[in-house]
Amino acid sequence: MELAIYGKGGIGKSTIAANLSAALSSHGRQILQIGCDPKHDSTRLLLSGRSPRTVLDYMRVTNPPEYSIDAILEIGYGGVGCVEAGGPEPGVGCAGRGIISMFELLSLFGLKDKYDITLYDVLGDVVCGGFAVPIRREYADTIFIITSGEYMALYAANNILRGIRNYDGDDSRVAGIILNRRGLVGESERASRFADAVGLPLVADIPRSEIFAQAEARNMTLTEFEPESQEANIFIDLAKGLVNGISKFPANPLTDEDLERTILGTETSIQITMGAFVESESTSQIIMGTNGICESTEACFKAENAENTDNKTENPVNSIDLSSTNRYFSKNVMRGEPLTSCAFNGALAISTQIRDAVVLAHAPKSCVYISYNSMSSTGRRQLFERGSLLPSAVTPNLQATDMDESEMVFGGMGKLTDKIEEIKASQPKAIIVVSACPPAIIGDDIDKMRDLSAMNTPIFTLRTDGNMSGDYTQGVLMSYMELARQIIRPDVKPEDNVVNILFERPISRNTLENYEMIESYLDQMGVEVNCRFLCDTKYDNLANFKRASLNILANHDFTSEMLKEFFIKEYDSKFFDLKLPVGFHETEDWLRSIGEIFGKESIAEDIIAKNKIRYDKEVSLLNKSMKGLRLMVVTYSHDLDWLLGAAFDAGMEIAKLCILYSSTNDGFQTRFPVNFEIEENYNVGNRSRDIERTKPDILLTNYTFEPSGPLRLADRLPMSPISGFFTGLDMLNRWEGLLAMNLKGEWEKDEQLFNQYYA
Amino acid sequence: MNSYLTSITPDSISGILFALEGVSGSVVLLNGPMGCRSFHSSTSERQLIRPYEFDPLDYGMKWYFGQNRIPSTYLDSGDYIYGGREKLIEALKFINQNVRHNLVAIVNTPGAALIGDDLVGIARTVFGEKKVVTVETPGYSLDLCAGYETGVFALLDALNPPKLPVVKKTVNLLGLSIIQRYFKGDLMELERLLSLCGIEINCALCVGSTAEEINNISTAELNLVVRPEYGYSTGMRLNKQYETPYHICDSAPIGFAATEQFIREICHTLDCDPELAIDDINRARADAYIHVSHINAGYGLPKGVRVAVEGTYSEIYGYFKFLTEYLGMLPHSASVLCPDADIMKEKYEEQMQTYGLSDVINRDFFTDRKSELVFASGMTISQLKDTGMQFVGVENALPSLGYVDVIPKTHLGVKGSLQIVEQVLNALIF
Repeated sequence: MELAIYGKGGIGKSTIAANLSAALSSHGRQILQIGCDPKHDSTRLLLSGRSPRTVLDYMRVTNPPEYSIDAILEIGYGGVGCVEAGGPEPGVGCAGRGIISMFELLSLFGLKDKYDITLYDVLGDVVCGGFAVPIRREYADTIFIITSGEYMALYAANNILRGIRNYDGDDSRVAGIILNRRGLVGESERASRFADAVGLPLVADIPRSEIFAQAEARNMTLTEFEPESQEANIFIDLAKGLVNGISKFPANPLTDEDLERTILGTETSIQITMGAFVESESTSQIIMGTNGICESTEACFKAENAENTDNKTENPVNSIDLSSTNRYFSKNVMRGEPLTSCAFNGALAISTQIRDAVVLAHAPKSCVYISYNSMSSTGRRQLFERGSLLPSAVTPNLQATDMDESEMVFGGMGKLTDKIEEIKASQPKAIIVVSACPPAIIGDDIDKMRDLSAMNTPIFTLRTDGNMSGDYTQGVLMSYMELARQIIRPDVKPEDNVVNILFERPISRNTLENYEMIESYLDQMGVEVNCRFLCDTKYDNLANFKRASLNILANHDFTSEMLKEFFIKEYDSKFFDLKLPVGFHETEDWLRSIGEIFGKESIAEDIIAKNKIRYDKEVSLLNKSMKGLRLMVVTYSHDLDWLLGAAFDAGMEIAKLCILYSSTNDGFQTRFPVNFEIEENYNVGNRSRDIERTKPDILLTNYTFEPSGPLRLADRLPMSPISGFFTGLDMLNRWEGLLAMNLKGEWEKDEQLFNQYYA
Repeated sequence: MNSYLTSITPDSISGILFALEGVSGSVVLLNGPMGCRSFHSSTSERQLIRPYEFDPLDYGMKWYFGQNRIPSTYLDSGDYIYGGREKLIEALKFINQNVRHNLVAIVNTPGAALIGDDLVGIARTVFGEKKVVTVETPGYSLDLCAGYETGVFALLDALNPPKLPVVKKTVNLLGLSIIQRYFKGDLMELERLLSLCGIEINCALCVGSTAEEINNISTAELNLVVRPEYGYSTGMRLNKQYETPYHICDSAPIGFAATEQFIREICHTLDCDPELAIDDINRARADAYIHVSHINAGYGLPKGVRVAVEGTYSEIYGYFKFLTEYLGMLPHSASVLCPDADIMKEKYEEQMQTYGLSDVINRDFFTDRKSELVFASGMTISQLKDTGMQFVGVENALPSLGYVDVIPKTHLGVKGSLQIVEQVLNALIF
């Protein structure tokens, strides 16, 4: 059972929640109480006044791989598990968003599965989507509303019912109203009139009593402080009813006008006659509720609704579920580094590669435009330069909800639903919904859209929540894994001579060219490419992913290793060890290995032999001019063998390799003996000094940089070099030409003019 | 199956950022995630030439992330909960101490705006009483033009220029933005033409003017609203604040006739002599004539060529007027950008009715693919190409296909008219 307790701020929710938890535990149930209020005092009475470390404080300073439930879960009176969300100081940040983040973390641990009953103590009114999380249908199945007889408390109670109705429609989850009296004249009548008008029972009437203050002064619940007291028995009875099963009702909020009439008593004919109220401040009674349904607490509870306490998972509570998509973190996220771009952008770039699906961005226009620009820039340039059209780049199958101010205030689920229905009419193979930051902050729950799946148009969701789930690479990972899980058919049998190519970079100038080259080699060997995961592919190719008997990674880095691990673990996939080759020796090795796997060695050797003739000839010529020249490289790239191989073949020397920090990669690797200077996590501030010291002839950087000093040439190193035999050699040929003529370009001297005119 | 967005246009936050980036010497701090900045940063860097502040390899991980413009506070999920105050203060201190600037602006992203950080108070902790532009709400899916004027208003609010004595025969240019494809050429051409009339530009608001020039904005005799959708509200505001009259162009001065009308109206208002500028227009018409007549003699073109235009209402109006009335081409369809900025909508629709081409108003730009020539952004042109449509595209807006303009181009004024004629003649399908 998951029980949410709502009510106006200051109404006594935390006291009642703690007392109810304690009472429930006395019935032999394992209880988890989650305080969803930034002031984080919900569980104080259960913890003898201690205040647990709040989840949000913890998340703020802890990187995801280090998350441990032990840091945020405390065990209180009666074995009650106590968790506090915490949150920002009043007036800053977004506490509602904090609640969402907390729930996401707790779901990683599967914490509530370890308890019979989870009790959510939720801040005040349902003011935004964040605070509504506990009443979303996947969380609370039972809701109590606490109120006094004051107008504002009843007004808040009515608002809460409105929030519930927004989620539930006519479904029934509200178990009733708990009246926590302030001792005002006529408040029982007002509360009763309200309860009757909204069709809910008053399940408990808690008197104003000194005993609460006495217990609180000792940081105790009544069950611990004075278990035999009448007040304690209210909670014991309420707990008993909950354990045995309780009737639930739909939320039927009143209009403001009706509420006013009801509370102020201008129309009272339906209320007072419904039951007898006990007015004593010192005694409590369980009183009747709506339409005469309940005569007592017992009557309000249904025995058949008892929770099955044996239905718990066996996973240890303090470990994250390894099968969760969230298990796979990008390097940025894992290390708590500044997030490069955003997960929303990464997810759009990858999910739009399924060409016959439609990706729906739940976002304001700006988010979509920014992403679209980055996705389409390569395509536009290709059209301009080469006249070639890359449909996946220039017209990605992308739609958007274009959220406006109104959705920011009132939520965007309606618009999202409408848009999905509109897209469904065009019968795409699938609809993939991706969320930006704003819908996440306001609490839109895009996962509910899966319910709108149609027979031929399944709906998948990627809750990237802008950059809240992480950086660009995290969005890429989420797309890969979530879409793989949801779309790949597990029963497809592998076929001989069929491969998948994974982890191409869709937004890269060389991707198509590289693929076409590799495809031609594979074609010559009679090997078919089934699915490019995920790059300009189709739904059915992805669904039939398991057709391939071998999987080839296009690129090797931190993320690709994770992807490989994922496919091995989830699909027992077989992987080829080498990435798509760049450089002569790499291409040679790649072809030989592939040829060996598919029994096409002779075809591989033929391809190699044809290219080796040219390579050897050009290397021999280059050796005359390049031998002994010293090369210094400052780069984000962590794999330079394609270049080093050609440089060494031509007799060049390495002055120094300076490897900059990369958000996508770790650990420089080379197959060559490291008998030269190399520095990882290089500090660019040392660049000029190192040039002076190591005296390179040629400096290569990912951004061209013209330092003063003895350099003969400064050149740019491509971030994504093209695949094939001659990539390294082509660079050396370029340098030879530039060095031979000492070509620098007069324009380089005009920097001072630029500074003069544009200072 | 094709199901893609046909309305992928920047919205208000881009308008705000590009308005403030257009102030010379400004540093615009984006309070939000890094993902919101890279497009704006690279576009601003390409559009408005400024000295490099940094080697891109420096600041790879904080604020600038390898790009020179629009640093960001790189907010993450924790900041959405607790607020971005600490990161804002850290970034502002860095900017204050390390980056050359004469104006600092802070703009919230759509997500950051939901947190409610007190930008004014935070700026004050770093800059004291120094004027800082702040935009807490960037708008959600609002028009680019609306965002641009939000940025301009925030700028004017922060600087609060004083009322100064008016200098005769000077104008401010309103409604230009660095997000406009050819803004630099537009500015140069307007400056040249006005100079021929003895009129000086006092302040070209948000296209390279400094904070100091903006402070003197009230000295202009007239505010010239070049592109109404971007500058109308600003013209009204300055009129109310400083009693400076404003002139809204019939459209942006696209084409010879519109340019002549523009010149005559301004000269009339400011009591200047238009004749040198009119001579300039006539000489250009003569140059254009011989080229158009050669093509027309050989092929009967460009008369009768179906043309489509993407732009604001005033741009569509201006292009169609020139292409139709001067070159004899047939408007076929139009895609309206910033449709909520509808000050010129009625005029455009009347124009189509006058031509007897009311169908054009409602014809779908993306599905009725019979146009032979399309004036649009590189993005729209590439999308239309992907439909298999046979046409030639002429870029009139960002994002581009990739052509790098070393010589500033324009579609405004005399040079702009010649540029359009040249592009049309070279785009004809014979």
